[in-house]
Amino acid sequence: MLHQDDAQSRYDRFLETYLSGELKLVNAGLPRARKCLADLLEEGQPSVLCSDGTHQMLKRAELHYLESILDDDERRSLMLPMLIEMTGSGNDAIVLCPTGAELKVVAEVLGMEPRQEEHGRVRVYRPQLSVLRRKLKTTTQYAFSARALQ
Amino acid sequence: MAQIMKVRPTKIELVRLKRRLKLSSRVQKIVKDRLSILTMEFLQTARDTVKAKQHAIDAMNQAYKAMTVASGYHGYVALQKELVACEADITVAAGPRSVAGVRLPSLELNEPSGGLRGYNLTQTSSLVDSASDTSREALRAIIELAELQRGLELLGAEINRTKRITNALEYILIPSLQATIRFLAMKFEERDREEKARLKRVKALLAAKA
Repeated sequence: MLHQDDAQSRYDRFLETYLSGELKLVNAGLPRARKCLADLLEEGQPSVLCSDGTHQMLKRAELHYLESILDDDERRSLMLPMLIEMTGSGNDAIVLCPTGAELKVVAEVLGMEPRQEEHGRVRVYRPQLSVLRRKLKTTTQYAFSARALQ
Repeated sequence: MAQIMKVRPTKIELVRLKRRLKLSSRVQKIVKDRLSILTMEFLQTARDTVKAKQHAIDAMNQAYKAMTVASGYHGYVALQKELVACEADITVAAGPRSVAGVRLPSLELNEPSGGLRGYNLTQTSSLVDSASDTSREALRAIIELAELQRGLELLGAEINRTKRITNALEYILIPSLQATIRFLAMKFEERDREEKARLKRVKALLAAKA
């Protein structure tokens, strides 16, 4: 009986480890500290440090595209990479827009005024997400939150 | 039909199984979300790869055509002499980018600053400029194609792995846990009914004695 108990708790531990491992894995690309667009444009090779200790390269072409959309103040307030929070439904996601610069970028890329859930959170649907990711491959990043899994 | 696990029919075991089912469902949710993102990225990359491949072929065609015209106008030896002097190494900025836990390559051609071509502009025609421009475009297209194709391979491999995990959870682990929980619940209900019947019988016997 003791042997069976031990095996079962080992199984639970495995599932627990797997869950936390999956969360760590999917969020490995999240930035440890984000940088503003103005600073990134001045860097020789723009990159941000990720949570797993690696550097994520940001493409110059994307940065110049963002530069063309925003004015000077917005370039200083836009923090990159922009975070896209997965809701867990699989059909939509939330783009975190703490400042107006992110909102302007999303509106420009999608070509329409996006639906704002609450302040700083913009809901985008799957086809819109696809467009956003195609245009901003390195300057956006997915974030999986434990809240979405509840 | 889901297989019932070999567990002791105790309440503590039922609680443990319910907890395990909740945990498994959460894992499944993450894995499914991840799979949907990876599939979306894969399809997008596949579409982009087709476009990039066509673009690379067109760009190479144009570059060869422009180079042929330029060498026909200036003469092969003269053109080679002019171009040898401006030979420069190509630098490509390379780094990883992460898509839902998959590390994909990110490549970008470093453009020379100032827009200098390196050859003598007074002794060459606009045909050489055109050949230079189209060659650079071809190079850019090849780099883009390389990035997309490698990304496609990596995403495909990860989708396969994730799909296996999702299937294992969806068709084996979770149904098996649910079946075991149902089995234990029914067992306890049956035990309760037996207990009630026994008590009634005892009560009836006691009533008969009294």
